[in-house]
Amino acid sequence: MNMNVITEWIVLLFILSGTALSLFSSIGLLRLPDVYTRSHASTKTTTIGLISILAGGFAFFLFEDGVISVRLILAIIFVFLTAPVAGHLTARSAHRAGVQLADISVKDELREDLEKHRKEMGGKEAAESKETQS
Amino acid sequence: MFHNLLYMAMFLLSVSTLVALYRLIKGATASDRILALDAMSYNIIGIVTILSIALNTQNYLDVILLIGILAFLGTVALCKYVERGVVIEHERDN
Amino acid sequence: MLLQLLINLIAALVWMLLHDTWDGLNFLIGYMIGFGIIFMMRRFFPQPFYGRKAWKIIKLVIVFIIELYKSGIFVLRETLQPKLRIQPGIMKVKTQLIGDWELTTISCLLTLTPGSVVLEIDREEGILYFHALDVGEQKEYVLSTLSALEKAIMEVR
Repeated sequence: MNMNVITEWIVLLFILSGTALSLFSSIGLLRLPDVYTRSHASTKTTTIGLISILAGGFAFFLFEDGVISVRLILAIIFVFLTAPVAGHLTARSAHRAGVQLADISVKDELREDLEKHRKEMGGKEAAESKETQS
Repeated sequence: MFHNLLYMAMFLLSVSTLVALYRLIKGATASDRILALDAMSYNIIGIVTILSIALNTQNYLDVILLIGILAFLGTVALCKYVERGVVIEHERDN
Repeated sequence: MLLQLLINLIAALVWMLLHDTWDGLNFLIGYMIGFGIIFMMRRFFPQPFYGRKAWKIIKLVIVFIIELYKSGIFVLRETLQPKLRIQPGIMKVKTQLIGDWELTTISCLLTLTPGSVVLEIDREEGILYFHALDVGEQKEYVLSTLSALEKAIMEVR
């Protein structure tokens, strides 16, 4: 009986911490001003909360039923691998589509570098396209 | 006690799903909506996990993998659409 | 490295076969015994012992988890302020890491840490462009995370 109570508290610790992280990240999703700052709040904090919840489920099935749940391990690995890719892709596509940073932002070194690069390449590319057209 | 706390966790997760739904409807740009969809699907995965703990069954664990894969593929496809206007490119330049 | 891992797995499987019990605990015991045998025979392999590299990878994971918690608390504190006082922005940093594998690892880990999203990578120069939650006064915070992860990855190489 005592063992059972300890198991339940371990599982609850994992799940409640994950839930709290998800809730805080949703507050961040509501409050922060633009896409990039929202992606900080939503993607990563939610991911860590989700991994915590999945670890709680893994611990529950391990202690309660004595089963090592392969599907939960797969889910943890999958989320851990795909979440940074999804966050990176969202932010990059927003930047390439020309979404402006919020007004409180300080600097944008990527746009400066891109414009510099475009100015250097500009003359060359124009000449090449003229050649191909003719 | 254990089950009540589990149901409370499910309630909090559904609240954060609703907040993400608000961002999905209101969202200023398309990228905001993609982010909100991603966050919503992750919260739903958490809800399904807690549900399978509360019901003490392992049959719902397939749903976790399925929603995870669908959410990732949807995010990638929507991001490519936002970036270039096409989902499947015929010429790969970079 | 890969060969030693394979031999270790085969040793664990043979241990389970000899005991005729197929559960996680027996696999773990067999893996430990195989690890000990490979450690004793490490001079007969052409490559260096893989336990050293595995230990460095475990150290990288520990460093990553510590950074995750530190910057998670930082982001939560900044998000829950009654009035937002962050100064977000995009900054560029030159890393010393080279090669596809290391750049992929650093950008994945850096994207997973709260407070920074990698936007673009210049592969030839090794420059990372990332969006940070605060590039004003607390700029060193992100940079310390980056340098800690970078050092841990360079250990693995």
